[in-house]
Amino acid sequence: MTLSKILLVEDDVDIQKVVRMSLKLRGVKDILVAEDGEECLAVVGGLKPDVILLDVMMPKLDGYETCRRLKANPETRDIPVIFLTAKAQQFEIKRGLEEGACGYLLKPFDPMTLHDQIVALLNQKGDGPKKA
Amino acid sequence: MTMVKDRLEKHLLDSLPSGALAVDRENRILYVNRALARVVGIHIEEWEGRPLEEFLQLLDDRFQCPSNLALRLEWDPHDRSTRSREMEFREKGGDRVYYVREDSRPLRDAEGRVVGRLFVYHDMRREREIDRMKSEFIAVASHELRTPMTSIKGSVDLILSGYAGDISTDTQELLEIAQKNCDRLIRLINDILDLAKIEAGQIRLKLEPLDLTDAVEHSMLGVRSLADQSEIRLTLFRPESLPLVEVDKDRIEQVVTNLLSNAIKFSPPKGEVRVELDLVDGCVQCCVVDQGCGIPEDQLTNVFGKFQQVANSKAKGGTGLGLAIVQALVNEHRGKIWVESRLNAGTRFIFRLPASEAAPGAPGPSSS
Repeated sequence: MTLSKILLVEDDVDIQKVVRMSLKLRGVKDILVAEDGEECLAVVGGLKPDVILLDVMMPKLDGYETCRRLKANPETRDIPVIFLTAKAQQFEIKRGLEEGACGYLLKPFDPMTLHDQIVALLNQKGDGPKKA
Repeated sequence: MTMVKDRLEKHLLDSLPSGALAVDRENRILYVNRALARVVGIHIEEWEGRPLEEFLQLLDDRFQCPSNLALRLEWDPHDRSTRSREMEFREKGGDRVYYVREDSRPLRDAEGRVVGRLFVYHDMRREREIDRMKSEFIAVASHELRTPMTSIKGSVDLILSGYAGDISTDTQELLEIAQKNCDRLIRLINDILDLAKIEAGQIRLKLEPLDLTDAVEHSMLGVRSLADQSEIRLTLFRPESLPLVEVDKDRIEQVVTNLLSNAIKFSPPKGEVRVELDLVDGCVQCCVVDQGCGIPEDQLTNVFGKFQQVANSKAKGGTGLGLAIVQALVNEHRGKIWVESRLNAGTRFIFRLPASEAAPGAPGPSSS
């Protein structure tokens, strides 16, 4: 099972590259990047990604608020959101899930298993990708 | 002389920055000091001899008080213990909040008879502010350290996976050193933050009744592959039944796993690491025993200190915080932990947790 289109919302250019390479390694074809929450909200409607990987600490609009707005919009509410963040405290994880995310992955992550972790989280919620 | 002494005592109490209230055995107010009178807005002289209930009513009129305030101030004349509680008072119609620690102790006369009780109220706003700043630091430090580590670890892992093409043996060896130390640094960051949270009282234990055997067996399963690498046998000795303990399962497993990992790391190949569970003095005792080189006597007292690794332990890849975290977690569970060791004769780490019910059984071995 492989994801085909992922929207990564991340302001750190180095981490963008690592995520991109790690997912490419597992055959993900389209990895689109938004630099912050505002850009994510502006482009997500036209992209229809399989999943949004969302950082928390970003300029303009943070990840929590971005997720809240994605879930409040009927056009984007069904797109699964997974936080990929260095915010590792229990209350931060709780908040992320309360905002409607289907999963929470911590940085530093293992680039060799990132794809599998995303798929596992999506399958848990019944949002897994269709068989290729 | 007595009058001079009385006046001196009153003067001392009035000089205290903390509030003080003394009541007699019939719950009549003996004394309110200046600091408390100022906060509550009363004249000291008017309150001496009046019933405590009136004072509580006044507090209730002026502040949103803790619902159990009355219970706290109602005291048993036979209670000779010293008690300490933290409370929060919100000013009604205002925005002031008082975070207060109440220390109460018996008031005795010259012959040592209990004649009443003294309540002292310390302003905890400064402590609260420091706690808040510490929490903020933990959150920021956690994020700021993890972010660059993500790029470093991710890049090294990807190169080692062959993503960027073939690499020479030397390059691979050097990158593996970087990878190993990167992982170590991440463990260190996690440990520092974990310990800081425990010390700041920021972990919320999810207490539930648990048979410690379950936690130990689960932890043994988790370290099995580490033990297998050195062909170390893991053995559990336990009674047929043990009383339950009221613990946070994940945190107690963290304690046992840490002790087991240490025991395995310091054991000779093909050795044995034993876990002994028992009921001792109303506590469930867990003892992790290894056949390692032991800890020198002069280092035994420091073993739970931060970054206090014994002489040869750095090579084992520890962060130097594991046992400090273990001790802090056992303390959080109102338990106690200690170590017994002799050079070249192995080490025993022993911790006890208060049992929540009594059901002793006869000890017997079972292998894992």
